[in-house]
Amino acid sequence: MKKRLHLLVILATIALAWGCKGEKKLVQYNDLYRERPAVIYIVPIEDKAEHRAQREVDDSLYNLSLNAATQHLYMTASAPLVYKGYYVLGPLATAQLAATETRTLKQLRNESINDYYSDLGIDAVLFIKVTKWENTFNSWSVDIDYTLRAAEHGTEIMHTFVHATKSVRTDFRGNPLPLKEDLAFAEKYGCDIETAQRCRLVEIVNEYILSDLPSGKRSRGTVIEPHAKTHPEYFSLCINPDGSIMLIDPPTEL
Amino acid sequence: MGCAGEYPGIPSAEMLDYQNHHTYGSLHRLATAYGKAINAAIKADTLHPGMYADYGVTLALMGHQGPACRMLNAEMNAFPESRPMVTRLKKQLIPEMMGDTLCGLRDTVNLDQLASWAYDSLTSLMTLPNVVSVIDSSDTAWLHRQTPTDSTERILRLTATQKRELLEQEVLEAERQKKARIDSIAAAKEAQIIAREKAKKEQATAREEAKAKQAADREQERARKAAEREEAKAKQAEERAKKAAEREEAKAKQAAEREQERARKAAEREEAKAQQAAEREQERAKKAVEREEAKARQAAEREQERAMKAAEREKAKSAKATEEEGGEEQ
Repeated sequence: MKKRLHLLVILATIALAWGCKGEKKLVQYNDLYRERPAVIYIVPIEDKAEHRAQREVDDSLYNLSLNAATQHLYMTASAPLVYKGYYVLGPLATAQLAATETRTLKQLRNESINDYYSDLGIDAVLFIKVTKWENTFNSWSVDIDYTLRAAEHGTEIMHTFVHATKSVRTDFRGNPLPLKEDLAFAEKYGCDIETAQRCRLVEIVNEYILSDLPSGKRSRGTVIEPHAKTHPEYFSLCINPDGSIMLIDPPTEL
Repeated sequence: MGCAGEYPGIPSAEMLDYQNHHTYGSLHRLATAYGKAINAAIKADTLHPGMYADYGVTLALMGHQGPACRMLNAEMNAFPESRPMVTRLKKQLIPEMMGDTLCGLRDTVNLDQLASWAYDSLTSLMTLPNVVSVIDSSDTAWLHRQTPTDSTERILRLTATQKRELLEQEVLEAERQKKARIDSIAAAKEAQIIAREKAKKEQATAREEAKAKQAADREQERARKAAEREEAKAKQAEERAKKAAEREEAKAKQAAEREQERARKAAEREEAKAQQAAEREQERAKKAVEREEAKARQAAEREQERAMKAAEREKAKSAKATEEEGGEEQ
């Protein structure tokens, strides 16, 4: 009986994996499967949404909120990778290592990073770039670009661009109405509701994108994992007020 | 979204606080939180990569070099793939302890505490070589002899008491070996320190030279850029002057044209006025002649009428006279 149940569960999982929309992981992360990195180094976030400082120069609260969300994005990037079985140094140690780097983020992104492999034993370097922050009447949006480069050869082994939107319920004045999770977050981190909502947005995006990577060497991984479906390289996702994620493919705003 | 809000090994609230403020207080809170997180992780068997390293960095930033070195060593031992990165961190943060793989441990923890802590870690993580290498990493020969697989299997076979005894024996043995080797290690360290100092001096000289060269290059580059800027400015000024002259010329031309136009229009206006005056004079003369003619005609008519009336009167007088004469005759 138990064997039959196991068999049924496995079959259902396989059917789900095959039935979901998207490309196979084996195809999408072909280079990643070939390189099989064990150690991933996350460089500090490249925040290209700096123009907000000029546009909203007097709105220090708004800028602080975006800065906090960017910091949170950096901090929460390592957790999904650790869960997937990669070795990732913590954010503080990474920042300490990055402090001595003389090259700019653009140079790191485009030039050879073989010294990371030869000197520091890093297999792959993850670049996260925030392209744009946007807030409309009842939603927060962020555009994030994830690039993973093999340190030894400098090849790009993963690239994902996501336009993520978090729908927020508002009151009659247009102020955002927080969810229970947002309130808990704001209380824990001692921040305002808007910051909490933005932080949760980037956290969910990180979780969604990086948890989808193939399992690392520390994780055992399943046999069916390479055949599971995954999201496309460029896509939009929408986080509904109830917390559910809706994939919009093809993206309308790209 | 399983782990949303939970980050393995990272006290995220304290980390965010530290990232936003960078104060000693926030760093202290972060270090405390990391310590608690590591204790909890060891107990729950969920030690994640980077925890020891981050804790070590916080301690080093607070100035506690011994414990920082100990934590960084622990990271290297727990996750061997982190060795090059953590070595670089040690070089950056605590360069004076580069050769020391056991710094601070004996000062902070006594042997019993060490054994019990090591035992707890051992039973939870089953990483005997790592723990023992924390106790004495200078005994690298012993470390290399023990592969993780061997030790794990051995631990699984032993009972708890046997494990504790084994660990205590190994700790004592390591301590004895360490005491015996302390002189040779000290000498080696001294030699290392001298070599390091020499290398540091050489590196510093090379750095200075490189810096000087870079500074000279920068100066040259700056001067070149400044000259280019000046040239560009002069060119722009020349362009501007040329354009201004052209504008002035165009303005003068337009003004002259406007003057000519104005004079022509004035002349036309004068001519039109004179023509109108002549016409008015002609009209006036014509009307005067007509008036004179009308007056003469009226005078003639009146004369005629007067003559007619006089003739009628004469006629009437003559008729009357005739009638009177007839009456008289009768």
